[in-house]
Amino acid sequence: MKLWHSFVKELQLSSKSWYFYIEVGMAVVLLLILLVAVPKETDSRTDEYLYAGDIPSDYVDLIYRGLLDDEDEDSEYERVEIKVGGDLFGADLFVTDTRNIYFVDDREAVLRLAKEDKEVGIEIIPASDGGLDYLYYLQGYESQKLKNLYMVLQNNKVNYKFVERHMDRQTVETIEKDPFVLNNRENIVPVFLTYNGSLMGLFIIAAYIFLDKKEGIAMAYAVTASKVWHYLMSKIGVMMVTTISTGLILVIPVMGARANYPLLLLLVVTTAFAFSSLGLLVTTYYRDMMQSFGAFFIIIVAMILPNVSYFAPSWEPSWIKYFPTYHILEGFKEAISIGGSAGYVVFVSIGFLAAGLLLFLFANYRFKKTLTI
Amino acid sequence: MISVKNLYHSYSNDEKYAVKDVSFEITEGEVFGFLGPSGAGKSTTQGILTGLLQLQKGDVTVAGYDIKHIKNEMFNKIGMSFEQSNVYSKMTGKENLEFYRKLFDVKTRDPQELLELVGLGDKGDIKAGEYSKGMKHRLTFARSMINNPTLWFLDEPTTGLDPSIASEIKSIIKEKNREGVTIFLTTHNMFIADELCDRVGFIVDGEIKLIDSPKNLKLQYGEKFVDVEYVDGKEAKKESLSFMEKEDIGRLKEILDSYEIRTMHTKEATLEEIFIKVTGRELV
Repeated sequence: MKLWHSFVKELQLSSKSWYFYIEVGMAVVLLLILLVAVPKETDSRTDEYLYAGDIPSDYVDLIYRGLLDDEDEDSEYERVEIKVGGDLFGADLFVTDTRNIYFVDDREAVLRLAKEDKEVGIEIIPASDGGLDYLYYLQGYESQKLKNLYMVLQNNKVNYKFVERHMDRQTVETIEKDPFVLNNRENIVPVFLTYNGSLMGLFIIAAYIFLDKKEGIAMAYAVTASKVWHYLMSKIGVMMVTTISTGLILVIPVMGARANYPLLLLLVVTTAFAFSSLGLLVTTYYRDMMQSFGAFFIIIVAMILPNVSYFAPSWEPSWIKYFPTYHILEGFKEAISIGGSAGYVVFVSIGFLAAGLLLFLFANYRFKKTLTI
Repeated sequence: MISVKNLYHSYSNDEKYAVKDVSFEITEGEVFGFLGPSGAGKSTTQGILTGLLQLQKGDVTVAGYDIKHIKNEMFNKIGMSFEQSNVYSKMTGKENLEFYRKLFDVKTRDPQELLELVGLGDKGDIKAGEYSKGMKHRLTFARSMINNPTLWFLDEPTTGLDPSIASEIKSIIKEKNREGVTIFLTTHNMFIADELCDRVGFIVDGEIKLIDSPKNLKLQYGEKFVDVEYVDGKEAKKESLSFMEKEDIGRLKEILDSYEIRTMHTKEATLEEIFIKVTGRELV
């Protein structure tokens, strides 16, 4: 009962404190960013600007037809105007699955697009052998590999047909049929849940504890018949409630009914518990928030690292899996994906629960010595 | 009720002791004053007795509990009023007391009754953050009584209070003592100690210099004086004469026989004067 009374009191106090509203406000801001600034699907097509004015019109017709036949046989091109600096230039636009190809009327447009807008400009010119050469206007920082690739693809320096045949012979096997893929917006939800949810308890709980110490409230609590762990657990309880609230603010509008909410809440609660316990433990080594700031900064920066491999899966060194946030991110991803691995989420949650318990026990042991100092 | 034997405490965990070889005993129902200047070791000793500081060296028993192995149930018997007010500023006075009463396993007092006792009866629904310093101090004092303690630690209970409120607080302390509550009073105010304490201990630089009752101390160290004002011819004169010196006693007799006496007052040494005499230090 004492734990319950402490928890209710902490909830009342937190509802009157700035920290709670900062967290909720932050969740709302992140939600708005997701809904307003992050498109569901990213247009990954590249823009290419070509000038083919110096080659005979028959060649141009051939190129146009080739493009329509190869990549977008159901579409026509359209006449558009593109703005470069303050000037307008006419162009024929071909929209394919992977590219927006502009055939501009004026060479100046290609040159200025490359120079002023950092775009790739290409000039098609007659080759000495009667064919076509492609003159690329690049920025200067492109790698030799990319330059070589352009040579291979466009300027017939190697046998492209050979490369094409080789690629066609490769066998691609799909391990998972019809995998559920999160859209761009949904894919960011695990990141926000991890950093604005699970990790938030790490230093918010420290702020609560240091405030109590500063105001002498920790001392007043220490001379009651209630146990230190009641005091600590009531703070963690508040962090869990806050994390659940902010998590749901983010998930419900984006995911609707598609997320597995029991799994999601399980992971939210266990990770909030583990990181709040870690926050408690860190506070036992310092006298105030200023002193502890360095330690929290190092922990948070380290915990952000798995974010890189989350967004760039090609960079996933084996050691990154030792970072807890790697598994939180993956766990949240599974929890909000249709057909996500429930086993993985439960396994990760059990791991965080166990780690949280150990951290909490150690923090409690340390607090018995340091709460009133 | 309290037994302290060879208590040492160092904040730096070395030989620089804030408290050195402190020993004393307090019996049930006694009011014991722990007196000393700032930094003398009063708060450190009190912190150890209340479990706020870890016992490093020595044997300490409080309310029948060995402080080496503190049990939470011990705090059901203890009340602690801090010098610095430490209440939840975002909660009302009544909410503060309501919350703390739930943290004990014994019968507790009605918050409203306590608020009225300390003169905050009509301020119970105001947030403690809006209280004046003196009101917060009274709320902290009231909270220390919430569990009907049999051992009451009071740290500067009247500091910062106006005289009438301080007088009420002293009355409450006396009343609780009459009910049998043992009181450990930490203060540097010798007048309060003199008024309330059965015994006092002088602590300076972490060491106890002396423990005795104020009455015995005055008898032992105090020099009784008489201030006499008389008329010599047309001139009014004043003299301060000791009861202990033969020469002064003779002079007093001479004045009484020869002159018209205007006023005459006996004067006892104060605890503060005795403290300075014994420790060579002032109470700052």
